[in-house]
Amino acid sequence: MKSLYLYPVWLRLWHWINALLFLTLIASGVSMHYAGADWLMPFATARVVHNTAGILLTMAWIIFVVANARSENARHYRVRFRTLIGDLIAQTRYYMIGIFRLEPHPFHVTEAMKFNTLQQLSYLGVMYGLMPILILSGWAFLYSVYLPETLFGLGSVWVVAMTHVVVSYLLALFLLVHMYIITTGDTVFSNLRAMITGWHRETDLPRTETTAPAPRETP
Amino acid sequence: MITSRDRATRQGAQLHTDNPLQAPTGSPGSTKARALHLGRSLALWLCFFALGASVDQSVAAIAEPVGGAVDKELAEAAADRHACLRCHAMSTLGYRDPDDGEIVDLSIDREGLAHSVHGELACIDCHRRSYRRYPHPDRPAPGDLDCIGCHEDENQNLSRGWVDIDAEFKRSVHAVSDSPRVEGFSCHSCHDPHRFRPAAVGEPIVQIVRNHNEVCLSCHEKLIAPSSTSHGWLPNRDAHWTSVRCVDCHTPVAVFANHEVLPAEKSEKNCVSCHSADPQLLARLYQFRSEEDIARRGLLAKAVFNEAYVVGMSKSPALDRLSLAIIGLMVLLLAAHGVGRYLVRRANRRA
Repeated sequence: MKSLYLYPVWLRLWHWINALLFLTLIASGVSMHYAGADWLMPFATARVVHNTAGILLTMAWIIFVVANARSENARHYRVRFRTLIGDLIAQTRYYMIGIFRLEPHPFHVTEAMKFNTLQQLSYLGVMYGLMPILILSGWAFLYSVYLPETLFGLGSVWVVAMTHVVVSYLLALFLLVHMYIITTGDTVFSNLRAMITGWHRETDLPRTETTAPAPRETP
Repeated sequence: MITSRDRATRQGAQLHTDNPLQAPTGSPGSTKARALHLGRSLALWLCFFALGASVDQSVAAIAEPVGGAVDKELAEAAADRHACLRCHAMSTLGYRDPDDGEIVDLSIDREGLAHSVHGELACIDCHRRSYRRYPHPDRPAPGDLDCIGCHEDENQNLSRGWVDIDAEFKRSVHAVSDSPRVEGFSCHSCHDPHRFRPAAVGEPIVQIVRNHNEVCLSCHEKLIAPSSTSHGWLPNRDAHWTSVRCVDCHTPVAVFANHEVLPAEKSEKNCVSCHSADPQLLARLYQFRSEEDIARRGLLAKAVFNEAYVVGMSKSPALDRLSLAIIGLMVLLLAAHGVGRYLVRRANRRA
């Protein structure tokens, strides 16, 4: 078994704060969007909670972008265009077919690259695509009076509202898939454990066999 | 009893003809008119002397504090108002119109004027030449009560100019209706210049809505009678009346034209114009609340305690259904994938 220290403290801290904010925003957002049902948060509470969590999410995102750009973690986000198509096909095939045949994972985690291509593209899309749109549309909601009256011929507030709600649904979808995909590691909980301890552990042997733990590599 | 609406209509009928923004020209009085005028003046003086004592007592209150540092013009204006209000602050000041027998109320609510947008003007700024002396003429001179004379410069600062407002008014039910009630309808019928004050950003919304709707209800008072079934189709009718301005539904939703008041049958009855994704009315309501939030709380606190939220604003039933269906489908797919993985592993372990 090899152990790689892939998730530094700042990254894990950010990840779990982000996760908490995500859940808070979903709960409060749903409570406002579907206001009226008994099992939801009271509307007035949901509004303040959603705004506060949104502001904190913005700060967390800025911290992530800055820290990611200034640390070695950025290398995991560099797309390898040369092998992109092949990797994508292999990864998709694995999730759809190979995983049921207990085939070995087509991608091997290294210190230079911890994400497989599908992971990498989805994280890139989420962190540098959907998140900024979500955050900007959230702030645009708050300060809509400073927007022009119309955007693309439609009322600004409506454009902002629809953008915010569509991106929210997409991110909720991402969260679902993300929570499931992390169970496809070596064991159901190995990826979750890695994000808690920082250490990624991988065995080169078939999954059904057990081996004595090997000494960890130092980060 | 004379209502402010009666007064405004009477004044409007007297002072405004075709163009609601322009005063008509006066005509020289005939012998009969002069005799009527003399009688009216006499009646006014009798009123004045009869109520003189109480007026004197209130003069101190009428006169506004104008300290030494106050601009000279303001002081002169205050003195002018003081002189006029000696008579016109009397609530009983009025006369019976010899033509139609109706009572024309000439009293001005002192408090209302002081708080109005014109509260710092001298009376003769608007009621010009003809009203400098007493007795007043029975009709205003040409050029008196010329709103545009003062307001023309505002065109650049307004999102919609006077021309637009005039055009909107001419399309409104208040201008095109055959009802005798709208005869002589003018700007002043709603915007009583002695009371009118535009809503200031930062005022509580409920107060703004109330002030707005009071103008409409001063004529349409039957609507709010206890036995009234008007607007009964609205769920939570009273909540709508305290939170939404009449003009939000009773003017065209598609374009911003809040002086084009629509007849009841053409007014907005589609709930989703507000409680859904309609870009126009929705934006109007939301921006109104948003501006109010920022003014009251400041930029930063607004971000947290934002009150500008119209229920259902970000709702599009089709989008919600589609999104929830996709999310539901994804849950099923992932569950099926997980069960498949589990079964394969179990079979492998047994083998």
